Amino acid sequence: MGGKDNVSRQFTYPLKTTHRPLPICKTLKKKSKIATNFVTFTKQQYTKMPTETPRKQFQSPKKPKQSPNNVKSQSSTPSIHLSPQTPQLPLRRSSRRSLQLFTSKTVDEMLDLSTPRKALEALDGIGKCSGNNRKGSSVRTPRTLKCKFNEEDREIPEMGKVGEGNGEVEDAFCPVSPEALESKKRKKGLSEEGSVKMGKSPKCKLNEDLGKLGEGNGDVVSPEKRKKGLRNEESVKTRKSLRCKLSEEEMEIPDLGKLGDATFFPVSPQALESKKRKKGGEKRAVTRAMATRSLKKVNKEEKKGRKRVYYKKVVYDGGEFEVGDDVYVKRREDASSDDEVPEMEECRVCFKVGRGVMIECDDCLGGFHLKCLTPPLKEVPDGDWVCGFCQARKLGKDVEFPKPPEGKKRVRTLREKLLASDLWAARIESLWKEVDGSYWFRGRWYIIPEETASGRQPHNLKRELYRTNDFADIEMESIIRHCNVMSPKEYAKANDQGDDVFLCEYEYDIQWHSFKRLAEIDNDEDGECANGDEDWNSCKEDDSDTDEDMEYEEENERNAHARPSTTHQLAANSRKGRFFGIQKVGTKMIPEHVRCHKQTELERAKATLLLATLPKSLPCRNKEMEEITTFVKGAICDDQCLGRCLYIHGVPGTGKTMSVLAVMRNIKSEVDAGSIRPYCFVEVNGLKLAAPENIYTVIYEALTGHRVSWKKALQLLNERFSDGKKIAKGDDRPCILLIDELDLLVTRNQSVLYNILDWPTKPHSKLIVIGIANTMDLPEKLLPRISSRMGIQRLCFGPYNYQQLQEIISSRLKGIDAFEKQAVEFASRKVAAISGDARRALEICRRAAEIADYNMKNQISSVNSSTVKDVVTMADVDAAIQEMFQAPHVQVMKSCSKLSKIFLTAMVYELYKTGMGETTFEKLAMTFSCLCTSNGEAFPGWDTLLKVGCKLGECRIILCEAGDRHRVQKLQLNFPSDDVAFALKDSKDLPWLAKYL
Amino acid sequence: MGREKEKEKPSEKALNLLRSRLSDPNFIFRPLSDSPDSNYSKLKFIISTSVTEACNNSILLLGPRGSGKVAVLELVLSDLLQQYPEAISVIRLNGLLHSDDNCALKEIARQLCMEHQLLFSKVASFDDNSQFMIAMLRECGLAHKTIIFVLDEFDFFAQGKQRLLYSLLDAMQSVNSQAVVIGVSCRLDVDQLLEKRVRSRFSHRKLLFLSPSKEDTERFMEHILSLPMDSSLPHNYAAEFNGRLKKILSDERFKELIDTYLSFNFTIGHLVRFLFQAVSYMDLNAGFLSLGNFKTALSSNQRQLKLESIRDCSVLELYMMVCMKRLEVKEQTSYNFYSVMTEYKSIHDSFQTSDYYAANVCLRAFEHLLQCQLISFIDNKGHNQSVEFRPVKLLISSAELHQGLKSYQQCPAILLKLMDR
Repeated sequence: MGGKDNVSRQFTYPLKTTHRPLPICKTLKKKSKIATNFVTFTKQQYTKMPTETPRKQFQSPKKPKQSPNNVKSQSSTPSIHLSPQTPQLPLRRSSRRSLQLFTSKTVDEMLDLSTPRKALEALDGIGKCSGNNRKGSSVRTPRTLKCKFNEEDREIPEMGKVGEGNGEVEDAFCPVSPEALESKKRKKGLSEEGSVKMGKSPKCKLNEDLGKLGEGNGDVVSPEKRKKGLRNEESVKTRKSLRCKLSEEEMEIPDLGKLGDATFFPVSPQALESKKRKKGGEKRAVTRAMATRSLKKVNKEEKKGRKRVYYKKVVYDGGEFEVGDDVYVKRREDASSDDEVPEMEECRVCFKVGRGVMIECDDCLGGFHLKCLTPPLKEVPDGDWVCGFCQARKLGKDVEFPKPPEGKKRVRTLREKLLASDLWAARIESLWKEVDGSYWFRGRWYIIPEETASGRQPHNLKRELYRTNDFADIEMESIIRHCNVMSPKEYAKANDQGDDVFLCEYEYDIQWHSFKRLAEIDNDEDGECANGDEDWNSCKEDDSDTDEDMEYEEENERNAHARPSTTHQLAANSRKGRFFGIQKVGTKMIPEHVRCHKQTELERAKATLLLATLPKSLPCRNKEMEEITTFVKGAICDDQCLGRCLYIHGVPGTGKTMSVLAVMRNIKSEVDAGSIRPYCFVEVNGLKLAAPENIYTVIYEALTGHRVSWKKALQLLNERFSDGKKIAKGDDRPCILLIDELDLLVTRNQSVLYNILDWPTKPHSKLIVIGIANTMDLPEKLLPRISSRMGIQRLCFGPYNYQQLQEIISSRLKGIDAFEKQAVEFASRKVAAISGDARRALEICRRAAEIADYNMKNQISSVNSSTVKDVVTMADVDAAIQEMFQAPHVQVMKSCSKLSKIFLTAMVYELYKTGMGETTFEKLAMTFSCLCTSNGEAFPGWDTLLKVGCKLGECRIILCEAGDRHRVQKLQLNFPSDDVAFALKDSKDLPWLAKYL
Repeated sequence: MGREKEKEKPSEKALNLLRSRLSDPNFIFRPLSDSPDSNYSKLKFIISTSVTEACNNSILLLGPRGSGKVAVLELVLSDLLQQYPEAISVIRLNGLLHSDDNCALKEIARQLCMEHQLLFSKVASFDDNSQFMIAMLRECGLAHKTIIFVLDEFDFFAQGKQRLLYSLLDAMQSVNSQAVVIGVSCRLDVDQLLEKRVRSRFSHRKLLFLSPSKEDTERFMEHILSLPMDSSLPHNYAAEFNGRLKKILSDERFKELIDTYLSFNFTIGHLVRFLFQAVSYMDLNAGFLSLGNFKTALSSNQRQLKLESIRDCSVLELYMMVCMKRLEVKEQTSYNFYSVMTEYKSIHDSFQTSDYYAANVCLRAFEHLLQCQLISFIDNKGHNQSVEFRPVKLLISSAELHQGLKSYQQCPAILLKLMDR
């Protein structure tokens, strides 16, 4: 408990310490993951918070009606707010601040991103609003009221749906439903029109009621709460009466309460008040917890309503924001002063925004009209283009950009502001509606190179940003608009996508000031997983306790991870779900060679030929993949999936594992699309297990996330698969188990294999096993009871023939002109003749490219000739093949010492003489001395001879016993005698050797 | 007196300089690394491309012992560490120490933790460590860092199930990492030892370290032995030293000498050992190397160890060996202490030698021969049997024994006679 307390204090530090038991908080969080796919909002519907001054004025007359207590209780609504994420924010913010040395703010302002700023903006908004036609206060007053109605109206059905508890909130807003249509219309129309329509709608009465309610009291509390909250007796009565009405119509109250809340949420300018609010929230939570115990069903409904509602997409302020989008975020309060953001960039010469094609200088990022240039350009040139000013500056001249005409201030675009660190950019990680109706998102900051510890590095591009590991909860209000942060690949393609295009290739760790490349593929997969999980969670009504605990732990860990100083130092390699401190790994500076180097054809060829690069398509295994697909699909869709087991065999490097994984990826995308039931996929590699029994632990961990000993895991898995007991959520999903290198699981009594293969035959196991091994007859080698379970369905991956290998290589080399056609064919023919191993073929080609590259670079450095071919030829491939397949012993024999040569000759001679492969040192020494005397060489002595023999034995040219056996030492050639003959036949220093070979 | 000191000083200095050069592999292998055909530049190219182009490689360095595999590798690594500081971390394992997969992985994890200032836990299991390694490979790949695994005595890793190699190479082909596995071995058939799955994943770059050519050896000797002209050594001295050295090196006798020496082991390491010995024989008073120094070094290298150990034997021991030899001539291949004793007695009976000792004394002599490894047990079986019953074998050839007897000063004439008969 102590730990939890500690954590919670950490979270809420600047706001208020909460003593609310955290598990409840967890429950809330968990339950709140009801995702709404699409919610539309007009700007008018959702009134902006920070610029909310008019509304505040509008509200103020109401306030006197409420007792101070009331205010408190009202403000206490956003209890759910206190989920561990939010309060983390101030800490993170401060760390960011220290990093940026941003001094212009008071501490208070910095502590909370949203509220104080909002308040400040609201304050100076009073002055500005009058002039600002967007936020005209006179227009505002009635409009706000109406939009309130709209909102309530819209919300009711949604919540009703939620009440039904099917988690199909999304449906409520699918375009088919009338509400959605209406909301769409509303989106188009002005708010006045919308209100007219609303008036026509059947729910008009309710709306009015609600309006009254809203005016009367911002908060609607459920009856249970009323029992506790003695303060707002009156208002509750009103509400109660309302409730009856409502329940007749829609059966949903708490949400309405929330809605009322949303519109009348007081914008508190002081942090103090926000503190109060938090405090209130905390109390409320306790209350609710009690209520949970007393009245379960209503509580459930209430919980649903009082929860953050997460969305995937929100239309806000005319823009559509989605999870994963990148947005500009306001950085300073006064940023609103120059908020007439030009959509178009001005020309740097004529200072007009206008038609006509503009071109961007790659150096100063200034925009120029084609016709304003001297000399004017007809069309946008290919490649990099640098404007005349920059060119001149590079030449050392002092250049002045043309001054804007009198009276006109040069307007900076958002991009310029961002790069001048007057703005922030963030990536939306999640979107939700707070209980009070305000829209928030969790943003992941981007940082410009200047703000990093290492500063701008020479290879940084002008439009480069870094993604940080710094998160913050930000109110949607502070979003200015979209920007477009791209990966290098996308960026390279983005030619004319406007000004708000940025490049992001690296992640910046704000604690360790280190950089790391973004792992795109990994990230995407993770993201998908997370989304999928969420969906499935929301489908489920009852979450078990273990789940929540788990998530709590995760949360806890994430926070521990985020905090700069972890109190408990954990070893990096002791894995408890993750590795501690691994985020430390990162470069302090991005090495220049990575960025500034332009790849040659050969280098690109090498990169695509790497084993680690996944090819876009997998040629030549279509038949097998189809078979696997039908097997897996059949097994998943089958309700029982009894005894499903597939045995895949084939020699190494024939694409077994890759095909299965590709099939699983395809199926997964189908699952995501919704055409197939979700399943879980567990991958185990027999060779990576310390012992065969550990497979139980690994499987169990993959299924549930818990780590137990293998005996316990076996027991639990047995319970699950044989007895049909459920251990965790998602049990009803079929489970696909891929066991790579299956032969490693064979133990003496073969119990591991038996257990694993026995589960699929159990009626409710829903287990599908795919085993991969090299030998064709593995099932036959096993006990009959195992082979009967495994050997039914088999799939053979034959070795590739040369056409297939050629296709594989050339499919990878598509678009790269680095290989001669015959070279590829030669390599593939050679490999096909030897093993049919695709890895070998790829490696040979890569090695050949490497050799060609090496030769080329050497030639350039030595001769500096321009006529260097940069194509991989047959000779290179041949060299690579020689290196890979030829044993090096011939070369070693050729170059070894004189005595060694005679020694080997003597061995061959001895072999011919006796016909016996094995000889003893004594006999050999006799032969040796014979050879020496008859050819005029000095006999070196037995001891030296012994040493020579041992040296050869070390290299395994001959096989010999240990040297202390001396005279009785047994010797044998390790290579065919022909090799020795070949190597020594024409040795220059000892021509007589040929006689004896 | 003072003059002498001054005179001695440069020679001592020169000796120290030469010795320190000879024991510094960097100095020895640097001049051999210039040409593009040298292993140095090939290896450097492979490793530096995997640093700059972010790819995985696995290389085998093969060659007989003393051919400078590790020395060249270290040279390359130190150069690359200078060139790309921070971007390279080197993990060194030795097959003799870490051939056990579990302990090798633990060592890898430990060195990775050391390298990145992470906390290391001794109790982490095999799975933990291997997953940690894979995670580190990925992270380092993302951070543009290359991990270089140097596996010395690679053949010891290629035994058993080869889990370490498999998980390492499998990670390298599936994770986007940049890692180089460098196996160093003197066994030429080491890639045949790899398990088929491991072999398929191994990228099979091979660098063969061969003996240098004759010209290279000469160049190399001159490079090592000649003194620098621009050092603290007196200029005249250095000039004269180098002049004399040149004379020696071009001397036919010296070339012959070197040839004889290198005729049985033609590697750089072997040559360096010889030079060190020769330099150590340098006469400090003369202050210059002479041909004699090299000759002494050679003769001290060409010792016949078995003959020397015969010289240390007692007459009784000689008797016993001669008896064994006679038994072998009688085609009695297997004999033990008692059969030797019977032969000894029969010799004594027929020739009435003065050297006749009791059985227990003979047993002592027999044991001493065993310790000198002039004789040895035929097999390792029968450890529990007492020494005198175990069959033994003479480890010295009859020719050597004869030579030894001849050179033995107090050798009874009867023994030589017995040898012949």
